[in-house]
Amino acid sequence: MARYILRRSGYMLVTMIFVAVIGFLIIELPPGSYLEFEIARLRQLGGDMAPEQIRALEVRYGVHDPIYLKFWKWFSGFVRGDFGRSFEHRLPVSELLWQRLGFTVLISVLTMIFSWVVSIIVGVYSATHRYTIPDYAITVLQFIGLSVPNFLLALVLMVFAQQVLGMEVGGLFSGAYRNAPWSLAKFIDLLKHLWIPILVIGASGTAWLSRVMRGNLLDVLNMQYVQTARAKGLSERTVIWKHAVRNALHPLVMVLGMSLPGIISGETVVAIVLNMPTTGPLYFRALLQQDMYLAVTFLMFLAVLLLIGNLFADILLAWLDPRIRFE
Amino acid sequence: MAKQAGSSTTPEGLVVRVRDLHVYFFTDLGVSRALNGVSLDIPAGKVTGVVGESGCGKSVTALSIMRLVPHPGRITKGEILLYREREKQNGHSIVEEVNLTDLDPQGPVIRSIRGAELAMIFQEPMTSLNPSYTIGDQIMEAILLHQQCTRKEAEERAVDILARAGMPNPQTVVRRYPHELSGGMRQRAMIAMALSCTPSVLFADEPTTALDVTTEAQILDLMRELQAAMGMAIVFITHNLGVVAQMCDTVAVMYLGRVVEQAPVEPLFYDPQHPYTRALLRSIPHVGSRTKARLQPIRGVVPDPYATIEGCPFHPRCDYRKPGLCDVRVPATTQVGENHTVRCFLYTEQGEDNG
Amino acid sequence: MAEAETSIPIPEELVREPVSEVGQMSQWQLMRLRFSRNRLAMTGVIGLAVMYVIVFLGPFLAPNDYMYQNTDYIFGQPNSITFIGPDGRFSLRPYTYEISTVLDEQSFKFVFVENREKKVPIRFFVRGDPYTLFGFIKSDVHLFDVDRPQRFYLLGADELGRDMFARILMGGQVSMTIGLVGVALGIILGSIMGTASGYWGGLTDDIMQRIIELIMSFPTVPLWAALAAALPPISATFTALHRYFLITVILSLVGWTGLARQLRAKVMAYRQSDFVQAALAAGASDARIIFVHMLPNAASHIIVVAALAIPSMILGETALSFLGLGILPPLVSWGALLKSAQQVAVVVQHPWLMIPGVAVVITVLFFSFLGDGLRDAVDPYSI
Repeated sequence: MARYILRRSGYMLVTMIFVAVIGFLIIELPPGSYLEFEIARLRQLGGDMAPEQIRALEVRYGVHDPIYLKFWKWFSGFVRGDFGRSFEHRLPVSELLWQRLGFTVLISVLTMIFSWVVSIIVGVYSATHRYTIPDYAITVLQFIGLSVPNFLLALVLMVFAQQVLGMEVGGLFSGAYRNAPWSLAKFIDLLKHLWIPILVIGASGTAWLSRVMRGNLLDVLNMQYVQTARAKGLSERTVIWKHAVRNALHPLVMVLGMSLPGIISGETVVAIVLNMPTTGPLYFRALLQQDMYLAVTFLMFLAVLLLIGNLFADILLAWLDPRIRFE
Repeated sequence: MAKQAGSSTTPEGLVVRVRDLHVYFFTDLGVSRALNGVSLDIPAGKVTGVVGESGCGKSVTALSIMRLVPHPGRITKGEILLYREREKQNGHSIVEEVNLTDLDPQGPVIRSIRGAELAMIFQEPMTSLNPSYTIGDQIMEAILLHQQCTRKEAEERAVDILARAGMPNPQTVVRRYPHELSGGMRQRAMIAMALSCTPSVLFADEPTTALDVTTEAQILDLMRELQAAMGMAIVFITHNLGVVAQMCDTVAVMYLGRVVEQAPVEPLFYDPQHPYTRALLRSIPHVGSRTKARLQPIRGVVPDPYATIEGCPFHPRCDYRKPGLCDVRVPATTQVGENHTVRCFLYTEQGEDNG
Repeated sequence: MAEAETSIPIPEELVREPVSEVGQMSQWQLMRLRFSRNRLAMTGVIGLAVMYVIVFLGPFLAPNDYMYQNTDYIFGQPNSITFIGPDGRFSLRPYTYEISTVLDEQSFKFVFVENREKKVPIRFFVRGDPYTLFGFIKSDVHLFDVDRPQRFYLLGADELGRDMFARILMGGQVSMTIGLVGVALGIILGSIMGTASGYWGGLTDDIMQRIIELIMSFPTVPLWAALAAALPPISATFTALHRYFLITVILSLVGWTGLARQLRAKVMAYRQSDFVQAALAAGASDARIIFVHMLPNAASHIIVVAALAIPSMILGETALSFLGLGILPPLVSWGALLKSAQQVAVVVQHPWLMIPGVAVVITVLFFSFLGDGLRDAVDPYSI
């Protein structure tokens, strides 16, 4: 098992290096460079710039370096925690990153747990109650969940919360707590705000996962060993939960890796509508402003999150399935 | 639901009696008539072979008796009687007749019968064991369900029954997962699991089809041996007539959802009555036949089960077909010898409707 | 009991096996039968057909040009329709009311009030803003309109006083095609990669799988957004239409991976199958095996996977445009229209700005019905 984890971690590191190459290419893609913006800004602030000044800046940022050297400079900095500067915020990227990334992880993990618990229960129910009215109702809800863009759902829920429930909406904290230090009251306030994002981000993933779970379970219920279990005289509940669900979970764990990108994507988009202090709003703003170091750092960390999630899924699968464990 | 027959032996020595059983599958594309009036007697303590081409309803018959017909199949007509022996306080055992078709297929009564009195093993040993649990867990599950004992006792019994099923190193095998065993070993494990609660009937649905010839012979020997030792009835479902001749005491020949002939094994092979049985026997080689003689395939193929055929289902392929009779009415079951019945208008004028 | 040993000659029509209609159908006929019996799938097909017709007849159906800005009707609400004529009796001709602008004393904002006394007739097949249909039919006849100076806003107006109805129909032309084009590109890319990967296996397969894993290790929308952000700004040489095509390319660059994986699995299974082994033994070339034996068998699966991929492409475009990174003016899409509806306060005041969202939901729903129906028709035993 330990060797298995080690090998998967090795794969992950290799993938990360390629992820970094893509990240670097994205920085280099847009027309114009960080330096041009910097020079334009300095010009705006005051007076002219001497050609020597510009040349000094060019050397410092390595504008004329060959591409592999540029990559190396950026990558080695990245590994050491130097992610470059955000020209828009005029701060090192690292200062903007951590807290927002923390909230993204928190919301993603909670959404994941929510959508798994709901998916398994709903999937088992609808697979074992096939061709009944509740199954059709669940199917309709699943279709809708998959068809509504998450930002639209966020808007509708916010309007609902504001107009019908009379709640203060948006953000993760009430005004009083936004800048307050952490306390129990602030934590409770956070919990009160979390249900909308979790529901909104989890909706489409839950609709999809519960559909996958239903399909898996229907497949497994056709397996011979389920018939064997029934032939032993086990009750239908034992047959389903002990023999069928356990095996239907394998493919679900395998698609865990696939459901994560959806959650992280959803989180970034929904955060804009819900005005949440997570990576999303800053990331898309950085893209629109061509603040590439900031944007790419965020993108890289989102990819790393995903890779860690996939590693976790692999380990879970090995734990669940003896055939993989003994490989 | 259960009436007491009151005698100490089962009626006519039967353990299961199936009468006019109809099982239909209601699919999106139409109704598939899997069983069209199966009547079958399963004698206690003997091996009954059920033979027929693919799709004739052999497996569905077994699943129906277990009350495990999968969705969208339903028993639409007929009855399945189980004669279960019950110990009385004074040492007399009495026989209780249970009509299985009356039971809720998921209810407690049929569940107490499944595994304990009716057990089943399947064609694919690769998929009939749950990959997520050890062999021991899966055998003990049945023992703990039907017998009063502790986990430790259950494990001892599991090891014991595995040993009886010819499993080498049963103590270590109980901790193994199915994927660690070969096909033959898995089938031994399945047999051990099925026999763990000493059932009175074991349904074996082509248990050796997926195995290689050597393993097949070993498994067949084992089943015969265990049958003799434990005295249960085996219903052996197969399309292999050689295996039938080797294994069975009586044989039921099925065609398109009906039993067309049932007889003890020797009369069936030496004096087949139904044209289909004859055709079936002509289609396989046998020792002593002239070397130049050609095997005769049965003309045509099994019709698809969605089709409705008027009259005897075999008449379109039958050489002895009587126009105006065979293509209009279904023949009734007729006694032609001791324990030998046949459904064919060659032996009766009676149709199913007036018989 | 007469032993009838003598065979009776059997008439030909009886030798033929009795089979039902279902038993005789080909694979494709069976699929078509299953599909046409699926009510949801047929709803999807008919619904989509109707929507495509409406969307492409947009300039004719909408009374105003989608670019026409009416500074006197900024954020104007949808106009009402009544069938009670000026004489107070029911009339077949629909009427709307005259609109007047009033300054609200409390909020110091202009509000639009319908003058219930003054009815304006809605006329049919009248001349109005000029337009070009399907890129070559020039006309200025609209299905319905009111007499000038009044303008008719069926679904209200946006922040520049443009007709939402016209804009939704125009946006539909983009939103309802971008998924199709994206999926078409994705199919081509995915088929090539998936088939090569599954057929040759080995190193080709390894490299392909690593590439797919790499692409899949990015969250989709942020990656799309990063690529879209690298596109040059709209100019004379790089028009909104160029951008439209490049956005579809970006969508399919990420979207092909799923298709490639599915196809690879299929091809690998076929590779082991008897019919391919037989073809190999007969000396068939790789190309022949792929194009004659494998792809026709995989065709139904390719169609299903493609149909199931369309909704996510449409939703992807919607999200990108909503963020301002997708379709840019002068083109519009439903996502771009929803950009005006980012704040709750705006939505509460002008709920008609959400209507493009309804269009997205309906379209995606219809495509999902279609995809599900196709999958059930091709493989009734899967999910």
